[in-house]
Amino acid sequence: MAKTQTHHDGYQRFKPSQRFEHIIVILTFTVLALTGIPQKFSSHDWAKSMIDFLGGIESVRIVHRIMATLLVAESIYHGGILSYKIYVLGQRLTMIPGIKDARDVWDYIRYNLGWSKEHPHMPRYNFGEKAEYLAMVWGTLIMVLTGFMLWNPIGTAAILPGAWIPAAKAAHGAEAVLAVLSIITWHMYNVHVKMLNKSMFTGKLTHGQMKEEHGAELAEIEAGRTWPLPPPEVIQKRRRVFLPYAVVMSIILVAGLIYFVSFEESAISTVPRLSAAGETIDVHPDIGDPVIGAQLWTATGCDACHGARGEGTEGLANFSIAGTSLSFEAFATSVRRGPAEMPAYGKQQLSDEDLAHLWVWLTTKE
Amino acid sequence: MKRHLLLLSIVLGIVLLLAAVVLLATPAPTFAQDSGDSMPETGEAEGGDGYCLLCHSQPDQTYTLPDGSVLDITINPDHFADSVHSELGCTQCHGDMSYPHETPVPTTSRDYTMRMAVICTTCHEEQASGLVDDLHYQALADGQYEAATCVDCHGAHEVQSPQDNREIGALACSNCHVIAFDQYENSVHGAALFAGDPNVPSCIDCHGVHGIEHPTTAQFRNNSPELCGECHADKDLMNEYGITTNVFDSYLSDFHGTTVALFEERDPNVATNKAVCYDCHGVHDIARADAENSHVIKQNLLGTCQQCHPDATSDFADSWVGHYEPTFESHPLLYSVNLFYKLLIPGVLAGFAVLIGVDIFGRMRRRG
Repeated sequence: MAKTQTHHDGYQRFKPSQRFEHIIVILTFTVLALTGIPQKFSSHDWAKSMIDFLGGIESVRIVHRIMATLLVAESIYHGGILSYKIYVLGQRLTMIPGIKDARDVWDYIRYNLGWSKEHPHMPRYNFGEKAEYLAMVWGTLIMVLTGFMLWNPIGTAAILPGAWIPAAKAAHGAEAVLAVLSIITWHMYNVHVKMLNKSMFTGKLTHGQMKEEHGAELAEIEAGRTWPLPPPEVIQKRRRVFLPYAVVMSIILVAGLIYFVSFEESAISTVPRLSAAGETIDVHPDIGDPVIGAQLWTATGCDACHGARGEGTEGLANFSIAGTSLSFEAFATSVRRGPAEMPAYGKQQLSDEDLAHLWVWLTTKE
Repeated sequence: MKRHLLLLSIVLGIVLLLAAVVLLATPAPTFAQDSGDSMPETGEAEGGDGYCLLCHSQPDQTYTLPDGSVLDITINPDHFADSVHSELGCTQCHGDMSYPHETPVPTTSRDYTMRMAVICTTCHEEQASGLVDDLHYQALADGQYEAATCVDCHGAHEVQSPQDNREIGALACSNCHVIAFDQYENSVHGAALFAGDPNVPSCIDCHGVHGIEHPTTAQFRNNSPELCGECHADKDLMNEYGITTNVFDSYLSDFHGTTVALFEERDPNVATNKAVCYDCHGVHDIARADAENSHVIKQNLLGTCQQCHPDATSDFADSWVGHYEPTFESHPLLYSVNLFYKLLIPGVLAGFAVLIGVDIFGRMRRRG
């Protein structure tokens, strides 16, 4: 009776929660590809048009990072569910490839070439699906790790050699190309072209599709040999162990994700370019007092090169800066940066106020 | 008409000759115009250059303006004769001034300079028309009278052609832009310019001449890599110096360059803080990349990175791949990653292609 019912309704493959995960992956993968690929090929006109359409490079990068965050969150969730199924429900590791899969590939080729009359009887997840799932795991791992390095290059360089960052950029881009091309070819063909596999949305496969794609599993279902769940008391016992562990792990991983996202400010919005001394000048030159300036001039040793009145000295600063035509900002930046042979003067040597005193004094000289 | 000109030339020639004889024969009169009102008694025709030079070639001629500033009014006839305007007469710029001069005098020497500079535009219309957007012109229009006028850069009586001597283009700026010039003079470009290299940029090659833009605008910044690229992406030119032209392309493929190039093309007026060439190499103090004082040589690179990435550590600087094509020797990890994917991507796709091809074949065969 059960058999006819499943036959009419189709065969249950994915629960709503799994289908929801798939939708999240569709969303994140597509948006990540749409915002990432044009960054890799940014010199091409099509990429520029895409970036324009998506609101410019800065918003493209922000959207890319939001989607990356969502994908990492989904990966954490997936890991949690997987651990629950394996540990608490004692389910089989149906995604691990084995000798049987290699034989299935070979049988599949022979069958299609007409060397064999029999289609391979494939398990719950056939070789194509295993390849895709494991590629997704591998790809996500690579993308998250390299993405972290690109997102936080300074933090990365504090732990790893700097050479890892350009390598991470190369891997991130190449892995993206591989992933997109795989989806366009392998995934599209197998679930949209070869047959319309609606199970990720309806949750069910037809009898015919089951026979072709998962013959071995169908045989098990029809023979009534399903993988049994452990007794309820065992599940209860395991749950009590699993739950605290899962909560702790989730907290650690989510905290890690938040840390990951907010790890480094300067990679997202670089600080405004600072003077070499690492400081900006934020006083108004009006506060400058020429009397103090005159004292600072000799006290700091400006006169050693620039002469007693800023007239310059032969062979050192061979030009006059008396009555300087520089604006205060330009003057202050110059002193902080240290043009040509002049050493840079940081805030330790000369405060911003000192610069104002010196500048005002210099402008009074001739 | 031609006969008139010929006649005029002969008369003028005789007059000049006479003037020379008179000058040589008589001891130089030692009046300064300030004190002397007396008209020199010579045979000079009024209005001729020689007539003006009778006074204005005397050394140490000065004129005190109402504000107390002293105007040097001595003209060195040799300098004028060497100038590009040697064919012109005094009155062509200064107007018909009879002696004693009746023209209302300016109040300050700067006022005088600005009045005189306007005269240049009567002949140099083309240059004048470009001035509207010029930084100095706008500053003058805003009342900042210390901003450069024509004569501040070109000189007055000793004007030389800037085409004949490229150093002029840099030296003119040095009058005011002391620090920038000092840095430039010691930079790789400046040192080469003054050593006679005809290719290196002087100030005006980057900043423009009569339409000088403000170099701190977003547009200037976003466009600056292309500015450097004008020379540094020119293979023939760079071959002379053994410099790779990959600098431009490698910059564009880097994170900074990608961003700046997009801004330059799509939002030229929006500022981006991603590094452009001069953020790393320096602005006026650009040195050879392998020079000890270069901002980008290994031992100085971290400090350069820290200008924008203050927390950067020494390993961070190593993340910069450089402007040369990475090789296995120079970047083993990057090279290996690229090689890995160069093999993996076609390998995986070939596998898919075989399996998909076999499947399509099988389906068609079974169908009929």
